[in-house]
Amino acid sequence: MRKKKNGFRRPVIVKQSKQQQHQPSVDPITGKKIPKSFVFSRGKLPGSLKQLQMDLRKLMLPYTALSLKEKKRNNLKDFLNVAGPMGVTHFLILSKTASAPYLRVATTPQGPTLTFKIHEYSLAADIARSQLRPRCPKDLFKNSALIVLSGFVSGDPPLQLTTNMFQNIFPTIDVKTVKLPSCQRILLLNYNKDTKLIDFRHYSIRLQPVGVTRRIRKLVQSHQVPDLRNLQDVSDFVTKAGYGSESEADEEAATVTLSSDIGRMNRASTKSAVKLQEIGPRMTLQLVRVEKGLCSGEVLFSEFGEADGKGKGKGKSDDEMKYEEDSEGGEDEEEQDGEHPEDSEDDEELD
Amino acid sequence: MAKEMKLLEPGRAPRKRKFGIKHGGKRPGKKAKVMPLHGQKKVKIDKKMQKLFRKRAREYDSDDEEDETPVPATAATRSLASIANKRNEEDDIESEDPSEDEGAAGRQKTWNKSTIDVNNQFSDDEGEDDSEIQPGITKFTEGCRAFKMAFMKIIKKSVSDDLLGPVLSGHKKLIIDKLAEEEAEHKIKGEAKKEKQMVAEKGHVKPASNYLDSHEKFLISVATKGVVKLFNAVNKAQTAQKGLDSSRTKDAKVISKRTKEAFFSELGKPTLPAIGTSAKANASTGKVEDEQPAWAPLRDNYMLTSTRLKDWDKMPDKNASDEIGKASEDSSSEED
Repeated sequence: MRKKKNGFRRPVIVKQSKQQQHQPSVDPITGKKIPKSFVFSRGKLPGSLKQLQMDLRKLMLPYTALSLKEKKRNNLKDFLNVAGPMGVTHFLILSKTASAPYLRVATTPQGPTLTFKIHEYSLAADIARSQLRPRCPKDLFKNSALIVLSGFVSGDPPLQLTTNMFQNIFPTIDVKTVKLPSCQRILLLNYNKDTKLIDFRHYSIRLQPVGVTRRIRKLVQSHQVPDLRNLQDVSDFVTKAGYGSESEADEEAATVTLSSDIGRMNRASTKSAVKLQEIGPRMTLQLVRVEKGLCSGEVLFSEFGEADGKGKGKGKSDDEMKYEEDSEGGEDEEEQDGEHPEDSEDDEELD
Repeated sequence: MAKEMKLLEPGRAPRKRKFGIKHGGKRPGKKAKVMPLHGQKKVKIDKKMQKLFRKRAREYDSDDEEDETPVPATAATRSLASIANKRNEEDDIESEDPSEDEGAAGRQKTWNKSTIDVNNQFSDDEGEDDSEIQPGITKFTEGCRAFKMAFMKIIKKSVSDDLLGPVLSGHKKLIIDKLAEEEAEHKIKGEAKKEKQMVAEKGHVKPASNYLDSHEKFLISVATKGVVKLFNAVNKAQTAQKGLDSSRTKDAKVISKRTKEAFFSELGKPTLPAIGTSAKANASTGKVEDEQPAWAPLRDNYMLTSTRLKDWDKMPDKNASDEIGKASEDSSSEED
C-alpha cells in the first residue's frame, strides 16, 4: 500500500563534478572500500547551521558530495536510493529543534544511527576570524582527514559504537604505503568522561624543520631576496639568532623524523616539528541516542533512559523509514564483527 | 492715494479683466526674450492642465465647504469670488497665448485657496511690473503688505517643540494614538525577530580572537600526539621497506615474509581491540599472550570445548555422517 502511494518521487538532484564521479570506490593500493558520505539536513536550518553543514562537507572532502542539492520534498528514502549506486556509506544529517541543533551520523543502508546533540559549535569562518593568520593551503582538502579518537573508554557499548563509526567514516590508512604529504588535516574527537561531552575539532597539520632560525626558514620558504640593510655582513644573516627557537623548547615531544621529503622545507631524516592549526568547524557533541536502523528502529541507547522503547514517533514521520527489525538481539556485537581487524589496526596507529 | 484706491476697489473685479489684457499684452515681448525655446507644446499642456486645475480647484473648495462647516459664510463667499477671479484670469491667459511663466502662476493660483493667496498673486504680478506704475496696481500695495504681515506672523510663530510638529488640533490625538500603536507594533515585531534569531543562533559560539584557552591547548596537544604517533609509525614502516624493491626476488621474499608475519599477528589479536587513549596500540599487542586469539582454530582449547568433538573417534559408525555435519556447524559458530 505504502509503495503505491509514493509511487514516484523525484530523485535528489546531486551535482557532482566529473572528477568526483570518477572517484574510485576502492583504494587502488590497499584494495579496501573507501567510505563515502553525504552531509545534508532534515527540516529548515537557519543560516549559521547551513554554514556548518557546508563546513562539514568540506571536512568530509574529497569523498563527499560538496554541492549536494536537497529539496524540501526529498525524504530520507530518496537519499538512500541515490546512496546505493554511488557507494555512499555514511550519512551526516543536521537538524534543528527549538532546544538545540542535532547531528545524526548513520551508516547506510542498515544503520545504526548515532544522534548527537550539538551543545556548542563554531564555524570555520569564526575560527578563521579568531586567528591572526588563518592557514589554508590550496591542497588542504584534496586528501581525506586523519582521525584521532581519545578518551573513549572501552567497555561502554555506545562509546565503542561511536569510535567504530568514526573510524570507518574516513578511509583507512595503510602505514606502509601512505604518503606523508597527503596527511594535511586531522579530526580530533576527545571524549570527556566527567561531562560526557565529545569535543570535535578539525586541525591542519604543518611541519617545520627543527633547529632552523626563522630567517633561514622564511628564506627557504619564500625564495625572496631578504632585507640585509641592517646587517654589517652577509654572515650576520645566518649567525644572528632569531627568536624562532623559543617555542621549540616545550614541543620536544611534537617532533618527528621523516622518512621522505615533504616540500622544500622538511628533508628526509631530519627532525621536524608538528604544528597544528585549527581550521574548524568546532563542535561540542553529546551522544543522546543510538538507533539500530537508519534513523529508525530499536533504540539501543538513550541518554534519557528510554532505551527499552522502540523508535519514537517524533521527528521520524518525515523519514518514513521502516526496516524489518531482525530479531537477533545482537546489539553492538554485530557492528563489531562487521569491522575488519585490519581496519582497527590502522586506526590504532593514529590514536 | 491709498484711500482713493480703496474707494475704487468695489469696481475692481470687472476691471480686472482689462488689466489682465494689458498685463498679458505686455507679456509676450518679455517672454520672447526670456524663453524663446518654448513652443506650442507647452501651450497645449497648459490648456489641459488648466482644465484639470479648474476641476481640482472646484473640488478642493467644495471639499473645504463640506469639511469646515464652522467656517463663516463670508469666507465661503469670498472663496467663491476668488474662484471667479481665477477663472477670469485663466480665460485671459487662454486667449492670449499664455506663456510658461503664467502657466506656472496659474498653477499657483489654483492651488492656493484662500483669498489672501489670491492677493498674493496680484502682488506678485505687481512686483513684476514695478517699473510701470499704474493706478490699478498701486492699490494692491496695502493688500500685499497685509499679506506680508500675516505671512511673517505665521513664519515667526514658534511651533511647540512636539514630536509630531505642527498638526491640526483635531487630528492630534488621533495621530498620537496611531504613532504609539505603530511603535508598539514595531517593538513587538523586533522582539519576535530577536527571539527567533536567538533560537536560530542557539549553540553558536564565536571563539575569542587570537586566544587559546587551556582546554583548546590540551586538545591540540592530544591531536599533536596522535599525529606524531602516526608519523613515527609511518616512518618506521617505510624506512624498513626503503631498501627493498619488490621486483627483485630476494627482496620480494623478505616483503612476503613480513606481510605473512603481519597477517599472523592480526590473527592472534583479541576479538575486541581495546579502545582507549594513545596507549591503545601497545596495550593490545601486549595482551596477546593473555587473551585468546580471535580466530577459533588458533585457540588452545579449539575443538576441546565442545563435548561432542572430544570423543569423535569413539562414536559409533552409523552416526558418523550426522556428526560431521554437526561438527562443521560448531566450528562455524565459534568463528563468529
